[in-house]
Amino acid sequence: MVSDRRIAGGIGGRLFAVGALLLLVGIPIVTLVANALADGAEPLLSLASDRSVDAWRNSLLVAAAVTALSVLGGVAAALATERLAVRGRTALRIGMLLPLLVPDFVTAFSWQQAYAPGGLVDDVVGVSASWLLGPIGVIVVLTAGAIPLVYLVVAAGLATRAEPELERAARASGATRLDVWRSVTIPLAGPSIAGAATLVMVMSMNAFAIPSVLGTPEGFVTMTTRIYRDLAFAADSESFSRVLALSVLLAGSTLVVIGVADRLLPGRGPARSGVSASSSMASGRRSWLPTAPLWAYLGLSTALPLVALVLTALTRGIGLPPVPSNWTLDHFAEALGNRFGPAISNTLLLAVLAASAALVLGAVVVLGSRRSGRQWLGTAVSATFAVPGTVLAVSVLLAYGGALRDTLWLVLVAYLAKFWAVAHRPVAGAVDLMSPDPIRAAHASGAGPITTLRTITIPILRPALAAAWLLVFLFALHEVTMSILLYGPGSETMAVLILNLQQLGDPTVTAALSVVLTAITLAAALPLLARRGLLRRLGWA
Amino acid sequence: MKTPLGLLAVLMLALSACSTPGASNSAPETVAPTDEPSAVASASASEAPAPITGSVALYTSTTQGTVDAIVAAFSEKYPDVEVELFRAPTGEINARIATEEREGRIRGDVLWLSDPLSIQQYDADGHLRDWTPREIDGVPEEYRADRFWGTRLLNVVLIHGADVDPAPTAWSDLTDPAYADSVAIIDPGFAGSAFGSLGYFATTDEFGMDFYRDLAANGATQLSAPDEVVTGVAEGRYKVGITLETPAQAAVANGSPIEIVWPEPGAIAIYSPIGVFADTENAAASEALVDFIISEEGQTIIGATGFQPIRDGVEGPPTNGEQVAPDWESIFDRQAELLEEYRTIFGE
Repeated sequence: MVSDRRIAGGIGGRLFAVGALLLLVGIPIVTLVANALADGAEPLLSLASDRSVDAWRNSLLVAAAVTALSVLGGVAAALATERLAVRGRTALRIGMLLPLLVPDFVTAFSWQQAYAPGGLVDDVVGVSASWLLGPIGVIVVLTAGAIPLVYLVVAAGLATRAEPELERAARASGATRLDVWRSVTIPLAGPSIAGAATLVMVMSMNAFAIPSVLGTPEGFVTMTTRIYRDLAFAADSESFSRVLALSVLLAGSTLVVIGVADRLLPGRGPARSGVSASSSMASGRRSWLPTAPLWAYLGLSTALPLVALVLTALTRGIGLPPVPSNWTLDHFAEALGNRFGPAISNTLLLAVLAASAALVLGAVVVLGSRRSGRQWLGTAVSATFAVPGTVLAVSVLLAYGGALRDTLWLVLVAYLAKFWAVAHRPVAGAVDLMSPDPIRAAHASGAGPITTLRTITIPILRPALAAAWLLVFLFALHEVTMSILLYGPGSETMAVLILNLQQLGDPTVTAALSVVLTAITLAAALPLLARRGLLRRLGWA
Repeated sequence: MKTPLGLLAVLMLALSACSTPGASNSAPETVAPTDEPSAVASASASEAPAPITGSVALYTSTTQGTVDAIVAAFSEKYPDVEVELFRAPTGEINARIATEEREGRIRGDVLWLSDPLSIQQYDADGHLRDWTPREIDGVPEEYRADRFWGTRLLNVVLIHGADVDPAPTAWSDLTDPAYADSVAIIDPGFAGSAFGSLGYFATTDEFGMDFYRDLAANGATQLSAPDEVVTGVAEGRYKVGITLETPAQAAVANGSPIEIVWPEPGAIAIYSPIGVFADTENAAASEALVDFIISEEGQTIIGATGFQPIRDGVEGPPTNGEQVAPDWESIFDRQAELLEEYRTIFGE
């Protein structure tokens, strides 16, 4: 079956993928390291300064705390919906996706509008969270955002990798439900819990927007926000040395976390046949009760802050009560004024280009490594997703800033480097599941490779391709970590516009723009929520 | 070979197909020239010997509304000039210029900042072009240097919550225990207006650096931007704050519960300077932009968007009391020292 032409195609694809990988990630990272080394002892010395040490310690603290708390919350949530007789399970599963769809800088800002002194809750009941600005606020809001991630991964693991017979046997032998969870369910879900924990740890260590909005004003600076401040607000050479050194340190710390997790945490057990365990495990009358904490979490973490955000956008003057007599659409009018048009067109253009190109790149890797049994290419692409966005942006700026500065292309390079893996995974998953028979049949009937691709492969893969495209599109709509470091006159995105306005301190127009961007994101994500089985296509389940 | 090459071709096509709208989109803050060649001819014929064309990169910390209005009017007058705008807080502009220097060349053409101390550092390093604006005489002498000139005055004032009692009336009131832990100030590393205020307090006998030490002892909080102070006081998080009058007035107009005070001995008047970068590749258009901002027409726009014009006789917002200012020239070249001393008190 394997003709010379197909092998050649595989090699061509691999060459192309390796070239793209070098161009997008390899050269930038090498440039970063070379710059750090060329700078002499300065970067090394700057690592020993208080600012660097504080930033490093704060990043690790945040990552550890967020991982511990969100794993607790996410596992509890998954047990509740997957192992208890609950009503409204489907609604809850969709609801748990909502927090992920709100851009993280909007989440941080909307929490502030809801819970900070002078916020909505303060106005209504006179209670406020003075801790929201500072380390506790950063940890709480990051945790609130990470719980749905853990939930999704662990719920998928519980649904497909548990052993219903073992759990039934334990119950039949007199074990209580808690005993069963402790001794059977959770150990079996171990690999997915470990995977979720690693994911959250890396993501929270690399988080930028939430520490920037909630930590920086109180002087709580992490590695990512330190790099941003040193690059975007400092003009001295010492700060620049620190940017180089901290970037290398941040990338190194991330690698260590992943390496340690790989060694220490349990590996993936053999997957079961895919029999869904949840329905069979949930016995007794279906009740709303076990899900009450989850609905409360959704209300407090997402719904209430979004309400506060809309009210801030609607209220005429800062400090006025958010009642209808004080409402106005002026802030929306201002938000949609001069700078909105260019920013939204930049954002959409970047998102469409990034999604389309990442999809092509992802497909090339899948086609290039198929049949050859060479997984290293896919692994290499997946690994790029773990490179912190901040590090990637600094590296891309160093490598290509001279030629591409102030253009959208610079931002696009960084987006492709980061989101390639996001597009690759669903496509790879779908291709793995694809039966070779239709392709064989096409070849047997005399179809060439292009015809086969057009008439057989692409139609079969269409749902996965659509999902991958949409996922990158959504990621790009949210993206701020890299674009805030790379934008210039003419390449400002919506996220950059909002974060910059937020820093200037006028919440009204910031809120109006945030409402607009969130509405666009939710609208774009509707197909994601509406289509069943899409999670599986994303490789999440 | 065909499959990946086909995909590559699709990718290239997609990229090149998008590059046309991308190119026009890649400079969205650019004000597109209008298609009126007749206007070009008349404007340039009456004002300059050669037609002025090309693009000008304007780096500025000036409030968005003001700079948008200026650029719009300038573009109407010079339809063949594209203005590329980078608007950011002073600290961010400084960092940007530092990066460009590291990369070999400052790419900006015109620098329009909020305080004379920040721009003077660039002049001292030889980064500003040596020339004289056409209507230099319109700028009062105290707001001129050799290679940069004032365009407007920013008034740094006190604001307090509408229900704060007693209301402050003088700068020195801020160290009063009545406002303990409830004073908001602006970061001079972020906002040029705060840097200018630092210049005033530090060099005025009545205050000196001790004023900042007393503020710190009274539990004052350092915020970044002037608008942040307005928001904090309007929401009741702080009783009083130091900020710019223009955003405070905008908040008052929206009904925010704050009041503005021109404190004793006066509001700190900081002139917002403009200059042309020595590295500019389009001196004609850069100078035309500066000339326009200093002209009566430009000054009228500045007055209409809420700032006090630098030229006498152009209408602006009313002044509500005395104005004070340091002797700017006496503090030139002392910026780093002042900021460093400030940092030992308030940190970053």
